[in-house]
Amino acid sequence: MKNIITLGVLLLLTAAAFSANTMQDNRYLTLTVLGLGAVKLFLVAFQFMELKKAHLFWKTALTIVVGLFLIISCIIIH
Amino acid sequence: MSKEATESIDSKSLWYPPGGLLIWSLVLMELFTFGVALIAFMVSSRNDPEAFHASRLLLNPTFGVINTIFLLTSGYFMASSVDQFKRGDHPRARRFLAITMLGGVLFLALKAVEYHEKIQHGLDLRYDTFFTYYWLLTSFHVMHVLVGLVILTYLFVRLKNPDKPIKTEDYEAGGVFWHMCDLIWLILFPVIYLLV
Repeated sequence: MKNIITLGVLLLLTAAAFSANTMQDNRYLTLTVLGLGAVKLFLVAFQFMELKKAHLFWKTALTIVVGLFLIISCIIIH
Repeated sequence: MSKEATESIDSKSLWYPPGGLLIWSLVLMELFTFGVALIAFMVSSRNDPEAFHASRLLLNPTFGVINTIFLLTSGYFMASSVDQFKRGDHPRARRFLAITMLGGVLFLALKAVEYHEKIQHGLDLRYDTFFTYYWLLTSFHVMHVLVGLVILTYLFVRLKNPDKPIKTEDYEAGGVFWHMCDLIWLILFPVIYLLV
């Protein structure tokens, strides 16, 4: 049941990212699109890949890799 | 796989994440590799924003959105298949696995249409820097999807053979590899198709 809710949220977030693409303010577009992508990535990892059941090390490792990518991306774009 | 055997794996252990240590190390390395490549892409975009913007307008984000839907839906069925496998309902796990593979095939079919369209318009690897990145990054991802489909096909065939049961960890590892294709696409798609 949780998986189907997750899929619904993922599809809604995909639609939201696509809609945000039409926004005029590029600064917020970057943050919105990257942020939505990261939320989707964590939803897939924690729910579908069952990372929620894993040791804290794996949760932290994924968060660090994705977090670093987001921070560096934001620094480059702005 | 019996329920007892499934319950014997302690996913909370540092050494046994769902699917195993090796596959999760691979997931982190792949995300890191694609992340570095995408950062290089963004640096190049920053150095030549007009050319990158003009080239990006030649992409059709609708293809990307539909492919995202295919992969996410496929991922949902993969998670359901793993769930059914752990419950011991192998026929159902097999049906869900078939739908998962269908999602992958649809993704590849749409990608082939997109690639064909680009080649017909002369937008190949040498067209400009944007398209060099576009082809290298997306085709590398496509290779992952192809490898994922081979793994899923192997699991699909093995599921039919009760004489050679699949270990839960191996089935989970196959699922994790497939989801890794989702994860890569979820960072690739917005950076290449959507960011201005």
